[in-house]
Amino acid sequence: MPTFSLDGREIEFQPGDTVIAAAHRSGIDIPHYCWHPGLSVAANCRMCLVEVAPPPGRGAMMLDVLRYDEAKGQYVPAKKPKLQPACQLPVTPGLEIKSQTSEHVKEARASVQEMLLLNHPVDCPICDQAGECRLQDYWLEHNGKQKRMKDEIIHMPKAVDFGPTIVYDAERCIVCTRCVRFCEEVVGDPVLDKRERGNLGEIVLAPGRKLDHAYTLMTEHVCPVGALTAKDFRFKARVWFLRSVPSVCQGCATGCNAYTDFDPRNQTVFRHRPRDNQAVNKYWMCDEGVLDYQRVHKGRLLESKVRSQTVAISEAVKAAADEMRNFGQSSAIVLSAEHSSEDNFAVFELGRALGIDKVYVTGRASGQGDSILRDADKNANRAGAQLVTNGAAVGNAAALKTDIESGAVVQVLALGSQVETAELAQLLTKLSSLVVLCSHEGPLASAARVMLPASTWAEATGTFVNRGGLAQISEKAITPRGDSQPAWKLAMLLADQMGKSLPFKKGKDVKAAVSRFASTSAGAQA
Amino acid sequence: MEPLDVELDETEVELPTEPMLVNVGPAHPAMHGTVRCVMELSGESIRRVDVQVGYLHRGFEKMCERGTWGQVFPYVDRCNYVSPMLNNVGFSLACEKMLGIEVPERCQWYRMALGELARISDHLTCDGAMAMELGAFTPFLWMVKARDMIWDLMEEETGARMTHSFGRVGGMAKPPTDQFKEHASAVVDQVERIVDEVQNLLYGNRIFLDRLDGVGIITQADAISLGWTGPCLRAAGIPYDVRRAHPYLKYAEVEFDIPVGKNSDCLDRFMVRIEEMRESAKIVRQCVERMPDTGPINVDDPRVVLPEKSQVYGTIEATIQHFKIVMEGLKLPAGEVYSYTEGGNGELGFYMVSDGSGTPYRVRIRPPSFLATAGLERVITDQMVADVVPCFGSLNMIGGECDR
Repeated sequence: MPTFSLDGREIEFQPGDTVIAAAHRSGIDIPHYCWHPGLSVAANCRMCLVEVAPPPGRGAMMLDVLRYDEAKGQYVPAKKPKLQPACQLPVTPGLEIKSQTSEHVKEARASVQEMLLLNHPVDCPICDQAGECRLQDYWLEHNGKQKRMKDEIIHMPKAVDFGPTIVYDAERCIVCTRCVRFCEEVVGDPVLDKRERGNLGEIVLAPGRKLDHAYTLMTEHVCPVGALTAKDFRFKARVWFLRSVPSVCQGCATGCNAYTDFDPRNQTVFRHRPRDNQAVNKYWMCDEGVLDYQRVHKGRLLESKVRSQTVAISEAVKAAADEMRNFGQSSAIVLSAEHSSEDNFAVFELGRALGIDKVYVTGRASGQGDSILRDADKNANRAGAQLVTNGAAVGNAAALKTDIESGAVVQVLALGSQVETAELAQLLTKLSSLVVLCSHEGPLASAARVMLPASTWAEATGTFVNRGGLAQISEKAITPRGDSQPAWKLAMLLADQMGKSLPFKKGKDVKAAVSRFASTSAGAQA
Repeated sequence: MEPLDVELDETEVELPTEPMLVNVGPAHPAMHGTVRCVMELSGESIRRVDVQVGYLHRGFEKMCERGTWGQVFPYVDRCNYVSPMLNNVGFSLACEKMLGIEVPERCQWYRMALGELARISDHLTCDGAMAMELGAFTPFLWMVKARDMIWDLMEEETGARMTHSFGRVGGMAKPPTDQFKEHASAVVDQVERIVDEVQNLLYGNRIFLDRLDGVGIITQADAISLGWTGPCLRAAGIPYDVRRAHPYLKYAEVEFDIPVGKNSDCLDRFMVRIEEMRESAKIVRQCVERMPDTGPINVDDPRVVLPEKSQVYGTIEATIQHFKIVMEGLKLPAGEVYSYTEGGNGELGFYMVSDGSGTPYRVRIRPPSFLATAGLERVITDQMVADVVPCFGSLNMIGGECDR
């Protein structure tokens, strides 16, 4: 691989890379605001300026500048080499770049920082970006001094309502245009644009429009400062109290990689952020996915129910076992495309131990898909749920509907909360027996004789297989809420109660079994 | 036992011959702080003693791992709580050693002056308590009066009499007040006068001398192998003082002597402290004379020093600086350091490990009184029970430092 020199270190690069991209690939951070690996180059922040060694035989291009002379107490003429933005400079073999080893670069960074903070409001105590703000980090690292301007800052519109999800603050904005480029390039909807210039620069909406496409929360994600804030997350939590775990989005079958941010002190999930994965979602997530974390706390069933009576979980397990003692030829297992492969595997094995051989998969109804990220199948694990049967036939919602109508299925052990169609939901009430392991309110919970509360994806580590067959692991964030437990544990409780043994005793056995199936899928293990 | 009104033939009476176990429990006026001594007595003399410390263990070193570097100051204050300024200064120096920065000259003199005042306060407490426990209540009250003058001065400077939390990485919390020099000189003069009075009262007192002279002797070899430093070691005849052996701040530029004992008994340990108070007074006078009246107290590094509050409310840069230091903690570079100063009881060391973040990875405090207390067993074995009091007092075990 060809290399170039950065601060005396040889860095590998790929043809077509810019200096900052090649450094980023090698794990070296050149400070920047407006550059993003997934967006085009704008080079307007000038934070990534680096010193380029001139070609042999030529001096560096020198510029006339004024420098403050302490001894004389005034500005005197001086010379400095012209620096280049690392985000725009293509790498050629033998290029010699100096970033933190160059005094000129250090001076440039301090100056850019001073300029960016020149008209910045004193908002840190109320700004959501505090704790993950580049202005804070870079000021301390590269500047550390007060600005020289003594005037009041230019006042700009604050708390501008951009749309149903985003609020814009023009005083905090450094006009890096990441949001503008994102909307134009990734979403294909150029609704944002920059207006004016200099210290009057601000971001505006296209006339008559609101920021209402399906990826608006990504503009907040790319914003390096607190100019764009999400209405959903504003003022809710301070980021230094939040911990993150890598997870998989549950919004649809794309399986975008995410981080689940939660507060361990009160075990609450506060937000989702995208996690980079070039193979699945690159750098992005859609709004539905980002907001999907709300389902960990909304609409949850946290206590067991027998008919409509709330009971302790041990009682419910007994009642469920009683119901299932008569299950046999006309019984069915309904797996859930919403649940992890581990949950589905455990319920499937429980069904097999009970001698049930009819298996179906249901999940949430389909929705809108697009060519960017969203899939029409709004379930995260349809592929995984089907794989755990290890080849046994699995019917879909339509097949289940037919079989209930014809009387072939009268008793059901179901995992999951939603079914695809209203007709199927109606039919569930006609079953003679329905035992459900579910996490949310829905048609399955309403129709159930016995309902055991299952944990969601955020409360247990699980494997989810996306539409491309890629098995990905989503890690546990919070402890199971209320009386809920991971569905695979509930399946074990039921098996114990009925005197049946399952081919696993512990969580890691379930995981090991699932990983065998996952690895037979078309994709590789994530 | 036989009833009392029966005539006994002495040769027939059974006297118990096993040694008696006496528990001088943690709650005992003679156990400075909370130390438990389980003594095996044979008559009046102590055959064996089991010294148990740890009743004041508060888990400081672990607590440091749950905060930021700046949040360690209240913890170290409460280690040797009779000379808290020495602990603060010691910890600040340890952090600055890790950062590779030196505080401005004005701050160095200020730290020295406050530190030596704290040392005087420590010795006043120790010697005063020793005298009181032997029955001499008056000199105790005189010494406490002197200590109170010092504490009033500390209150003027720092806002608190005892646990000030005044040290900061890169300087001190506030610059000296305008009256500091005047008041410090006056206090030091007064304290020296009181120390002279106490000396006159005690050094000619037969009872006092008999109780301390030749009591609680420890050999030099034992003292060194136990790891003793400070006044206890100097009373044993070894002139090791960190301020002279490894000078820090401006100790190389001031004149002071190191009092050394001859007999290594309780009286020597008492007298060494009296003399040290006089030397500390000398140092304070020199610092007050040489401390510049103008100039910064804190080093000019935005990564460790908090900005002025008025700036924080008005400018974005100061807000960011305040925010980063308070929320993330000031960051010390990854690595380890051992920094040591002369505390009230000897070499007060800080061994710190940093992982580069604002939270300490490990803060280990080397407590001189822990090592001194380890010698208690050696010192009081084969002494009489009544000698425990002056022996233990002369070691100046400060519970806060010993147990942390």
